Amino acid sequence: MKASVRKNFILLILATLITFVFLAPNLWMLFGSFKSQNAMFALPPVWIPDFTYIKNFTIMLSESYMYLINSIIVTICSTIVSLIFSLPTAFGLTFFKFKGRYFLADWILSTRMLPPVAAAVPLFILFKYLNLLDSLFALIIVYTAFNIPFAVWVSASFFKKIPIDLIEASRIEGASWFHIFLKIAIPLSKGGIATVAIFVFIFSWNELLIALFFTVSESRTFPIFISAQVSQAQIIWGNVAAATVIQSIPPILLTIFLQKNIVSGLTLGAVKN
Amino acid sequence: MISEKIQKLLFILPTCLFLLVISIFPFLYSVYLSLFQAKLTKMHKKFFIGWENYYVLLFEDDVFPTAIKNTFVIAFSSITIEIILGFIMAKIFFEIRHLKFSNTLRTITIMPIMLTPLCVGLVFLYILNPTLGIFSYILDTVFGIEPFAYLGESLPAKISVIAINSWQWTPFMMILLLAGLMTVPNEQYEAAKIDGANWFHVMTKIEIPSILSFVLLGVVLRLIECIRLFDIIYITTRGGPGISTEVMAFFTYRTEFRSFQVGSGSASAVIILIISLIVTTIAVTLLRRVEKNEGLS
Repeated sequence: MKASVRKNFILLILATLITFVFLAPNLWMLFGSFKSQNAMFALPPVWIPDFTYIKNFTIMLSESYMYLINSIIVTICSTIVSLIFSLPTAFGLTFFKFKGRYFLADWILSTRMLPPVAAAVPLFILFKYLNLLDSLFALIIVYTAFNIPFAVWVSASFFKKIPIDLIEASRIEGASWFHIFLKIAIPLSKGGIATVAIFVFIFSWNELLIALFFTVSESRTFPIFISAQVSQAQIIWGNVAAATVIQSIPPILLTIFLQKNIVSGLTLGAVKN
Repeated sequence: MISEKIQKLLFILPTCLFLLVISIFPFLYSVYLSLFQAKLTKMHKKFFIGWENYYVLLFEDDVFPTAIKNTFVIAFSSITIEIILGFIMAKIFFEIRHLKFSNTLRTITIMPIMLTPLCVGLVFLYILNPTLGIFSYILDTVFGIEPFAYLGESLPAKISVIAINSWQWTPFMMILLLAGLMTVPNEQYEAAKIDGANWFHVMTKIEIPSILSFVLLGVVLRLIECIRLFDIIYITTRGGPGISTEVMAFFTYRTEFRSFQVGSGSASAVIILIISLIVTTIAVTLLRRVEKNEGLS
């Protein structure tokens, strides 16, 4: 018994060390966001900053609130639109028996795996032609398209858990597919849908490449604003740290909610929890 | 009452049309553009040159071949590190899964996966900064190694990119393999104990065989991500110094949006596309097979 207690103790210490490795860099950045330019360059380093020094945050927020708002609008809209498109499709692919449904599902999945950089210029030309470049609308459309395949596959993996008898019983009672979708499938998969929504939200929130291609001034998203801070001749590290912290808050908070479903989501529904 | 057939179409058709326009059309248009000499700023003046862009990229210029090589070096090294460390970490978290705090520790450990890659790059740019970075300070005070611009020299820059990439994704491999270890039936462990098998036997004869499909899944999914690796490179090394951390996606971006060479950029995009298609076919087949067996669990 004693040996196993000791073993657990050692393992717990190892696990704590591992956790530290993955926490410390972020924590250091968080501390950095409370440092003045002088404290940044101090030697030996300032280990614990003065947490009442919030000038970095106020500067960043006043300079960038419009980009932050852009990011929020694009992220929320593309999350909602992705779900509006994906949920019915996932439902159809799960419950309709038609020829070629496996092929269709595979085709949808494969579009998720193609590199966005290969689509950037054609989309740039398309949106230029439609006069929609540098608009939030264009970003919403593109992010939605990139997220649909993921949302379809992962929602389908949740729809599959609904007992098929339930669907068939409603069919026999004469319920329409719309009714079954809205009144049975959606309420029964609430948790799964929330998982999909969180993932799609984070993917859109984190996106950089397409935003770099598409946004010039007004529709710049927050990540574009941050990356511009670093390309200046003199980097104000306190500001960069503050901006990084702001950008990191949603993914970190949302990961806590994902907990149980994170493996399932990251493997496109392949691993059940 | 809308007919059955139309109802079903309404469920599926909108998504298909949407994807055709925003996903499939662009890829096909890239193939078309790659056969032209074109500048993004003067698109009306493009002219057809056939395979010339591909020929130049692959055989006359060294940058793109280097980018392909770097992409795979980074992918291969990162994924190897992620599997080895991920497995060790999964084992540790597996052993303590019943203990208090183990959930909290695990949740904190997996945070990097969902972090904005741009921010991950910035965090390490800050840490690795030669004048104010904490890494330099520790290296200098503890080991007496003079700080230098780690991202400014070829090999250290490459190692840094691989390390940053692995730092973000090792937790993914860990939870994936942890899910795998959870599927090993308890009786097998009991049986091994009775037979007096040591930990090495348990690992090679019981654990590794049963998590192999999880490892495979992880490798394929990570490979797809590594092929499109962009954000970390963009913010930390910009492909440099020289072209020592140049990768395919960043090269394409530079060619298309810095030099506006859309034809040549599209050709490199198409090459990435072809490589991705090969990996994607494997991935989709694998996921479909897993899915037909009611998932890995």
